[in-house]
Amino acid sequence: MMGQSEKLQKIAAEALEQGQVTMVLGWCKKDFWWQAPVAFITDPASAARLVWDPFTVYNPVKYLLDNHHCHEKIGVFVKGCDSRAVNRLLQDRRLEREKVVLFGVPCDGKTDAAKIKAAFPGRKISAVSRVDEKLLVDTDSGTETLPAAGYLLDKCQTCRHPNPVVYDVLAWEKVEPRPGVDDARFVRVAAVEQKELEERYAYWLRQFDRCLRCFACRNVCAACNCRTCIFDQAEPRWIGKASDLADTLNYQIIRAFHVAGRCFECGECERVCPADIPLQELNRKLIKDINEYFGEYEAGLDPNDKPPLGTYRGEDPAGFDES
Amino acid sequence: MKRIGVFLCWCGSNIAATVDIEETMAAARKMPGVVYVDHNKYTCSEIGQAMIREAIAAHRLDRVVIGSCSPRMHENTFRKTVEAAGLNPFYLEIANIREQCSWVHKDKLTATEKAISLIRTAVAKAARSEPLFSTEMSIERRALVIGGGIAGIQAALDIADAGFEVDLVEKEPSIGGRMAQLDKTFPTLDCSACILTPKMVDVAQHGNINLITYSEVEKVEGFVGNFTVTIRNRARSVDMEKCTGCGDCYAKCPSKVDSEFEMGLAKRRAIYTPFPQAVPNKPAIDRANCRYFTSGKCKVCQKVCPAGAIDYEQQDQLVEKKYGAIVVATGFDTHKLDNYGEYAYGKHPDVITSLEFERLVNASGPTGGKILRPSNGQPPKNVAFIQCVGSRDKAKGNPYCAKICCMYTAKHAILLSEKVPGANAFVFYIDVRTPGKDYEEFYNRAYEECGATYIRGNVSKVFPDGDKLVVRSVDALSGALVELVVDMVVLATSVDARADARELAQKLSITTNAYNFFNEAHPKLRPVETQTAGVFLAGACQGPKDIPDTVAQASAAAVKVVSLLNKESLLSNPTVAEVDIKLCSGDMSCLAVCPYGAIAEKFIEERHGREIRKRRVAEVNTALCQGCGACTVACRPGAINLKGFTNEQILAEVDAICL
Amino acid sequence: MSVKPEGFEPLIVAFCCNWCSYAGADLAGTSRMAYPTNVRIIRVPCSSRVNPSFIIRAFQRGADAVLVAGCHPGDCHYHSGNFFTRRRFTVLKQMLEYMGIEPERFQVRWISGSEGAKFASVMNNITAEVKSLGPNRKLRDAR
Repeated sequence: MMGQSEKLQKIAAEALEQGQVTMVLGWCKKDFWWQAPVAFITDPASAARLVWDPFTVYNPVKYLLDNHHCHEKIGVFVKGCDSRAVNRLLQDRRLEREKVVLFGVPCDGKTDAAKIKAAFPGRKISAVSRVDEKLLVDTDSGTETLPAAGYLLDKCQTCRHPNPVVYDVLAWEKVEPRPGVDDARFVRVAAVEQKELEERYAYWLRQFDRCLRCFACRNVCAACNCRTCIFDQAEPRWIGKASDLADTLNYQIIRAFHVAGRCFECGECERVCPADIPLQELNRKLIKDINEYFGEYEAGLDPNDKPPLGTYRGEDPAGFDES
Repeated sequence: MKRIGVFLCWCGSNIAATVDIEETMAAARKMPGVVYVDHNKYTCSEIGQAMIREAIAAHRLDRVVIGSCSPRMHENTFRKTVEAAGLNPFYLEIANIREQCSWVHKDKLTATEKAISLIRTAVAKAARSEPLFSTEMSIERRALVIGGGIAGIQAALDIADAGFEVDLVEKEPSIGGRMAQLDKTFPTLDCSACILTPKMVDVAQHGNINLITYSEVEKVEGFVGNFTVTIRNRARSVDMEKCTGCGDCYAKCPSKVDSEFEMGLAKRRAIYTPFPQAVPNKPAIDRANCRYFTSGKCKVCQKVCPAGAIDYEQQDQLVEKKYGAIVVATGFDTHKLDNYGEYAYGKHPDVITSLEFERLVNASGPTGGKILRPSNGQPPKNVAFIQCVGSRDKAKGNPYCAKICCMYTAKHAILLSEKVPGANAFVFYIDVRTPGKDYEEFYNRAYEECGATYIRGNVSKVFPDGDKLVVRSVDALSGALVELVVDMVVLATSVDARADARELAQKLSITTNAYNFFNEAHPKLRPVETQTAGVFLAGACQGPKDIPDTVAQASAAAVKVVSLLNKESLLSNPTVAEVDIKLCSGDMSCLAVCPYGAIAEKFIEERHGREIRKRRVAEVNTALCQGCGACTVACRPGAINLKGFTNEQILAEVDAICL
Repeated sequence: MSVKPEGFEPLIVAFCCNWCSYAGADLAGTSRMAYPTNVRIIRVPCSSRVNPSFIIRAFQRGADAVLVAGCHPGDCHYHSGNFFTRRRFTVLKQMLEYMGIEPERFQVRWISGSEGAKFASVMNNITAEVKSLGPNRKLRDAR
């Protein structure tokens, strides 16, 4: 039986050979076992570099913004979350559907390398592979088996769309969403909501005090796809450049507002944050409020729907005193 | 650095009694960019304005801040003042130190402190003001009226009389609309045809009116003063030039179908004019029902036509025309009664709608004006009129009041008593609403002089009993159950928007309410304008209304059109949105929130190394933009800005306030 | 000469739409309806012109409260602007409260051009509320 990596390699090689696309974006292995960075494959022979392993978490879709001009058509491997990034770019008119061939990859969740490392303190790990719901960890003192579900990235534990929502080809059969993802979706938001007002401010101050304003959360986000970000502009100067917590709060509030009704919950912002700031607690708060006030809406499912802040109903309720 | 002049107005004692002018002037002198400060007892007076003009010249001022009354009061006055001194009028900023300071605060110390803050804010904004200009746009001095009912007829006549060319587009083969179907009109009982048909003839004969019947609006492009409208001339199958209107064709046509004009109470032919007084009095072939078009054989009309006017080969034609203004006068539909099975409409021939009753009373109608039961051709002795059928019914009809039914039912009761002596009218009502000149008196006449019986109650059921109908209701005033045996039931059907109103609204970039009636720009103060400049409303397409209101609104719309077309050119609003294409990502979030359809996408070409790339950006049509600024917030990168209220200016105001 | 009252005087930034709320403020003026001097109005054409960035900036620079005031829904001079205002600031307001900002600090109100009395009473209330809260230190620049 062909392995999953081989399936991706075959899809990519065929698409390149047949001239259907001139570049394929997928994942490859580099220096470390815990990384599977995005690969840019332009010839069929290199398709063998492609992998599907527990760490292929990176979203290749945003790279299309830099590359789609130079290619007639690009093939992209998309997990559920990545496919919603495609819809995000389509809705934002940053991408045309006919410029891409989408190779859908149903995804049963990616592994959190930190959790694996924590499970084997002091041991050197050389490789991690996955067989169904088991993780096989090769260490300097033999291969260990772990249950995959216990070592998922946090973001994958609340994933409602493990299957691509838009694709041209599907690499293998669709998978079932993990049980309980709907219940887990707003648990962290509710926990913050339950705190007292002052406690909440102190909580967020603690979180954002760590923010380096490295903008990784913005740069990784497919919803943050402006050509020139408002925070990079000099005139008008929307936020100060100095390391002032008030400017950080300004950035974080406006960043969250700019993805309100547009965030498709991939959780990459939180994953890439070097300061471990729980950004999903902010993004999902906005999603929860939008659902409650203006009706259920899930971004990144249909590029032709109307994002909730770009439309209205006369009978909308208000979150303030309308008297 | 800007050279800003600050001028403080005392407004007599209105400002000066509460705001310390000396202290405010001293503070203003220290504000960044301020090079000159002065004051005057009444800045809006000629002396005060002259002082500003002279100071601009003497001190080479390039921005002016006036601390005075509200900009809503004198902004235009002072803009002209600075313009007269050679500055762009938008180099002026007003600090509202009267309405929003001296008049609402008593303590001189804090009021002065606030006045200084308001001046500082205005100075900060003025320092970032850019010159703004109106652009001059030409006007196509012709009008389009959509809909040839009484609203469209009146509007077209008024515009044409004022000397402008009008195209009147009507969907049916003849103009006349709903009013042509009516018998008498309340509250005077004028014969509807007697007052309408002369106007129809006036339209046909007016040198400035071009009548385009059997046609519909296909597409609307452009903006106020410069609309380009595509009109679909449906194939009439009759050459309008050759046809003399003799009527031989429809006398001989073998195909009979229900007449829409007669509300299905009589037949018409497949080649037809809707009614004898039709304008133009030239028939059209209803191809869906024509024997030749459905079976390929017949051509009787062609054989009998002495003028050789029948042309089966005609095709729909799309004609593109230019207009400066558009009046929408598309009228209404009567409410469908599918949800009202309890009234037995459609199940019993003697249950009819009010519009069908109009045809029965009409001398040119199917019964020659005799009120006869459709079931047996006998005059009815007892007639029940049920009010509010489909109106004021949140459960399954329209929640709104259709406005005209109380009055036309009173009219029907009066006409019944005149036409069928001894007949009894029973009116079931929720409330009788008769606001209007001579309306209450007219209603009084129905029951005082003509003997109509008004029963307050919702009819729960109408059912046949032998050759009679039983109307069951509760008399809400006594609480008693009422079961009335009658010969005929007339349903006062509600007024709906046209089924295709929403589609037309989209073409015109205007909006509708929840029930698809077109929205006026302001419910009180701009009742005939829409939020799309140059598009006006007349008649029931804007909401249920009677003939007097319709005609009044049509004339009002005509005045608006005429005052627009009378202008040599249009000046665009200078405080419009502006796109910085360097920043624009082309995601068109701005377009989604623009209420005026003023934003469109366009593609620009950019050089990237050796290659030329196309890129989507937003573009503002300054003729359509009204300057609300909703787009500026929808735009995440801040690429779309509002002139006169720029991001830079507002941020500077915030900073200045919080200093 | 009057004496400045002791104690905390909050600074309140109010964004008022030109057609309704700014006109309401003018009407409060022509009707001589007194309210505290704490409020400073920034005139905008429509409440939909108010960018959340302006509000955060005001807090950063030291505003103790921010008010956005517009026409009542359905009465917008620009037809639909305040419907977008309602959605945007419903979301922003909930977010600010979630981040620990007192609800009184950021308010949105509909005030028509005929509601001079309402304008004055909103100003009285917001000033009293913020006075009792004390100065705002949250979201504020360190400088």
